[in-house]
Amino acid sequence: MTLRTYIISRILLTIPMIFILLTTVFLILRVLPGEPVLLHFEKMENPAAMAAMRAQLGLDKPLWAQYFDYVVGIFRGDLGKSMQDYSPVAQQIFSAFPATLELAICSMIIAVLLGVFLGVESSKAYNKPKDQVIRVFGIVTYAIPVFFLGMILQLIFGVGLHWLPVGGRISPTMEPTGLNIGNFHFSTGLYTIDSLLEGNIYKFVLTLKYLLLPSLTLGLVLCGIFIRLTRSNMLETLRLDFVTAAKARGLKESTVTYSYALRNAFLPVLTMMGLQFAMLLGGAVLTETTFSWPGLGRYLIDRINFRDYTAIQGAVVVFGIFVSLVSLAIDLLYAYLDPRIRL
Amino acid sequence: MAKSYILNDLINVFTVKKMKMKDAKAVGKMVIIGVLIVVIVIAGVVGYYLTIPSKLKETLIMGTTDSVESCLDTARAYDYFGLEIVQSLGSPLVAYKPGATGVESDFIPQLATSWSVSDDGLHWTFNLRQGVKYDDGTEFNATDVKYTFERGMGIADPDGSFVGIGYSDFIQSITVVSNYVVEFNLKRPFGAFLSLIAYQGSYIVDPKYAPMHGTSWNISDVVVYQDGNPRGSNPMGLGPYTLKSWTRVAGKDTEMSLQANPNYWDASSGYPKAKNIVIKFYADSAGLALAITAGDVDVAYRQLASTDITSMKSNNNLKVWNGPGLIQYLCMQEKYMPFNNTKIRQAVAAAINRTELVQTVFQGDAEELYSMIPIGMLGHTDAFKTLGDANYSYTKQLLAPLGYNENNKLQFALWYETSGHYPQSAQQALVLKSSLEASGVISVTLESRDWAAYRTARQQEIMHSYILGWYPDYIDPDDYIYPFVQSSGGSWLHQNYANTTMDQLIEWARGNTTESARATLYGQINNLMVQDCPIIPIYQGYAYAVSRTNVQGVYLDATQTWRLWLIYATE
Repeated sequence: MTLRTYIISRILLTIPMIFILLTTVFLILRVLPGEPVLLHFEKMENPAAMAAMRAQLGLDKPLWAQYFDYVVGIFRGDLGKSMQDYSPVAQQIFSAFPATLELAICSMIIAVLLGVFLGVESSKAYNKPKDQVIRVFGIVTYAIPVFFLGMILQLIFGVGLHWLPVGGRISPTMEPTGLNIGNFHFSTGLYTIDSLLEGNIYKFVLTLKYLLLPSLTLGLVLCGIFIRLTRSNMLETLRLDFVTAAKARGLKESTVTYSYALRNAFLPVLTMMGLQFAMLLGGAVLTETTFSWPGLGRYLIDRINFRDYTAIQGAVVVFGIFVSLVSLAIDLLYAYLDPRIRL
Repeated sequence: MAKSYILNDLINVFTVKKMKMKDAKAVGKMVIIGVLIVVIVIAGVVGYYLTIPSKLKETLIMGTTDSVESCLDTARAYDYFGLEIVQSLGSPLVAYKPGATGVESDFIPQLATSWSVSDDGLHWTFNLRQGVKYDDGTEFNATDVKYTFERGMGIADPDGSFVGIGYSDFIQSITVVSNYVVEFNLKRPFGAFLSLIAYQGSYIVDPKYAPMHGTSWNISDVVVYQDGNPRGSNPMGLGPYTLKSWTRVAGKDTEMSLQANPNYWDASSGYPKAKNIVIKFYADSAGLALAITAGDVDVAYRQLASTDITSMKSNNNLKVWNGPGLIQYLCMQEKYMPFNNTKIRQAVAAAINRTELVQTVFQGDAEELYSMIPIGMLGHTDAFKTLGDANYSYTKQLLAPLGYNENNKLQFALWYETSGHYPQSAQQALVLKSSLEASGVISVTLESRDWAAYRTARQQEIMHSYILGWYPDYIDPDDYIYPFVQSSGGSWLHQNYANTTMDQLIEWARGNTTESARATLYGQINNLMVQDCPIIPIYQGYAYAVSRTNVQGVYLDATQTWRLWLIYATE
């Protein structure tokens, strides 16, 4: 199978997966007790107004018709309008997604760097106290609930030391504007990049201050599995002949460990990164709430409370596509690094 | 040399014993005078700093877990936070003074300098303040008042308060008598009309920013959020503040800042106190509690958990403010057994232990409530005290003739919500169950749902008994009675209570504009509520705000509104 065929087959497999996901969410929401229209009428219930609103939102149609409308909309690239505030769902998701993406990327960087480094160090000190400490650290961070760790970090670095803000994405009125040259305007929604595009180092540092605690929380929780995985793979790799040969050639230990052994032990870690991305988004839902991070996870929680069918469906579809794309990218990277996959 | 003389003198001071007596006395005098001079200088400096007024902070940072639900247009906004911001951006004809308790003398002039009502209670005339300007410099006059109300009633957004409260049920027409006189012609006398005019939904809009796009009012005329255009995102303009920035991500506020309106009609009185307000939004009460404790915000308002409030009270860096909050009550489904029997409803009312609930769930930070009208408001009486509190002997006495006893207990389900819509709902339900079962003749099953499912269950009328809460719209006993026990007004509760005598009493109370007569009528309504027992009032909570110690001007009163323009912090 060529790489191109492989990519095409993976993409084609993603489509039915998203469809199954979408259908499941659509049905579950309709089965769940609770109705979006009722929640608009907090204190008074006006039957005529409620019926009009149901018609306006398309909820008066039979279930199959609602489903058909929604799927047709999806193919047109229209995720529908929010049942809470009538804004286009795609627009809302588009505004929340960069915050989640930024948090996910930073958390993954922290998790992988910390996890791999500690995993390597642990394997090098096999069965020594350093190894034991790192293993316990890995187990504890993996087991600790993300919201609990978040609150502990908030208490230490926010309330106690006053080093970092306890919540939010950036100080009010400090939102980076991105690149502005005359009438040309470009921004990514990722504040770290936008502040650099704006050329404002102060905003960049401020962005990092807000980003650090939530990404550290999520990164720490995820790093445990990378520690375990790297350690076990490194232990196997370090016993292989080519490592002994490299050592015999008089190469520095760090070169042998990181350039030779780790390179071989990294493939399973790469696979795990793909799998962990789904976990990461699940964790982001809780982390975003703990740190008042205005991302897609928090949006999803809010909309579930409101039974905002279209918004929930839209968010789940975007999450699904995102996880599929990351998984695809990891597979491609894997295929690139290990040609046997393509055979 | 002079320098050496001074040095010698100083040496002499410390070697005074070696000097002659006469010299020693002279030096002693010099020392005393020197000390006195130093003391006077220090006292002067200290006195200066104590007597000069502390410098006010230009920018006040507020933290909240709230968010504008839909928009800042009075035609649609009906959520707490949205209307609080509307209140800061606009002005009403009349308002409640800070510290109001909900009586007639609480009303103070705002855009109207005086008002009067005709003898039949059908015509309210307001004399308007002259020379008032919107933030853009346009002059305010009577046509803007007519425009505002006709717009709200014309758009008739089902999400908004004009429909929710039913303005069209009262207002027949609005007449511009002159440039600065406007008259409201009512369909029927309405005793709470001034309260309705003071309500945030009645704040005056700027026609320039709230235009009619077609030939008649349409729901699409509602002013909604526009990214990057704060002025175009709100139709107000007569308030102490203007909206400087407003950012929403995925339908939730992420950033909002207000700045003093240079044209505010009451600016000469020194309002707003803080020239800029920055609002930070937090996802939950835990995040907000951490933010105020860490000093990230100057003042935190809504929602802080009562456990956090308790610990904050003992924090020397924080100040806790409180005022009347929501009321909570127990509804009973009268459509079927067991609560289709008045005696059973009374038996349950008698068995409830309000004191235990207040002490256990709220650590004493709430008050037992014995009528739907809150404590301190016109018409409040302790009517339900006649049934008692944890009055188990009376409960048994009422239930015994119906066949309920220790061996055949009255059984029913008590429902509560789990979304945090009300404070500590699960704990409340547990304490209520425990106090009811302590009678020995009642057995309670607890049922819970998240708020959305709870609302559906209420509409399906499947709940035996259910706990609900109420934040008022307009500050009048009518807003605590009509929506609950009037046969059509209370239909949204789905408990199927109707009593023509009750309806008649409510109609009289609504139509009366005399305070004493209304108080008497509401007393009778309270008594009839005890007799019929459709709803059992449980407790009246407190609204809490927490600030740093340098913050002043927080007023939490019966209006339960958040007056940002009165709050300030010193440097």
